[in-house]
Amino acid sequence: MTNSDIQEIIFDAIEMANNAREDDKQIPVSEGTELYGTNGHLDSMGLVGFLVDIEESLQDRDINISLTDERAMSQSSSPFRNVQTLTDYITTLVKEAE
Amino acid sequence: MRQSRNILITGSSRGLGKDLAEHYLDSGDTVYGCARSEGTIEHDSYFHYKVDIASPDDVAGFFYKLRKEIRHLDAIINNAGVASMNAFALTPIESYQKIFEINVQGTFLFCQKALGLLKRSPNPRIINMTTVAVPLQLEGESIYAASKSAVETLTRVIAKEYGSFGITCNAIGPSPIDTSLIRGVGKEKIAELVKQQAIKKMATPDDVINLADFFLRTESKMITGQIIYLGGIS
Repeated sequence: MTNSDIQEIIFDAIEMANNAREDDKQIPVSEGTELYGTNGHLDSMGLVGFLVDIEESLQDRDINISLTDERAMSQSSSPFRNVQTLTDYITTLVKEAE
Repeated sequence: MRQSRNILITGSSRGLGKDLAEHYLDSGDTVYGCARSEGTIEHDSYFHYKVDIASPDDVAGFFYKLRKEIRHLDAIINNAGVASMNAFALTPIESYQKIFEINVQGTFLFCQKALGLLKRSPNPRIINMTTVAVPLQLEGESIYAASKSAVETLTRVIAKEYGSFGITCNAIGPSPIDTSLIRGVGKEKIAELVKQQAIKKMATPDDVINLADFFLRTESKMITGQIIYLGGIS
């Protein structure tokens, strides 16, 4: 699974989140999108729903990883900050799972 | 006419779970049932899965299969459960583990794994099952009642966390009903229990179905985090 496959899954999850959001609260589908934290588009439960969608998309491709283990929570720099950091984080987890 | 809903019911092979499944099938809904045993319902809109609710791998595998079949779930009824009567001092650790694995861990896993499917429904609902043994603090049911106390707390906290997805989460606490769950309890003990109720009658599966219908109604979107016992126990 390549970086761009993972980014595609993240973009799909953003689109799913946008389906449930008002027109003026849409999250930009872009590599530079801030997701969580300062300037992030998601609140804590929004992030939970978003990560569930990504985990399920990965499971549908037979990749079983948990994005919210203790390591993710304990990283001083959250991997959920933006699309780029999340892509890098998932890439690392997928490689470890292989 | 109301649209058909996708409803998941655990423990649907017998007892209350089977009654609930048949009721929603009669109402025109599609029911996805699961139990450790084979399915016992023959219906075009009933789909049965053999799942050991106490096994995280089994539950994960079940949701993997279910996501291949459907895009959303409108409701999940965590009906599967086990009870055990024993003096606290004599309760084997194996009983404790089994009861908590099925009643608490099973409810935990199903509520967690169903989130992705539920949040795609316009009116998503979770119903958990508890018991009057919690408020009545029944002797001989320490572990069963403790497990259902945990289910009640899960219900209230899930209601808060899932509220932002529009998912309601409530629990039904049936008073004694003639199901396999209380078959091992003496008649005198049941009569004594019924005497403590405001309405001094045995409940029927229809009483539970009535409350489940209420929680599942579109109009019940503001009802969440509630534990309702039958028979007037509080």
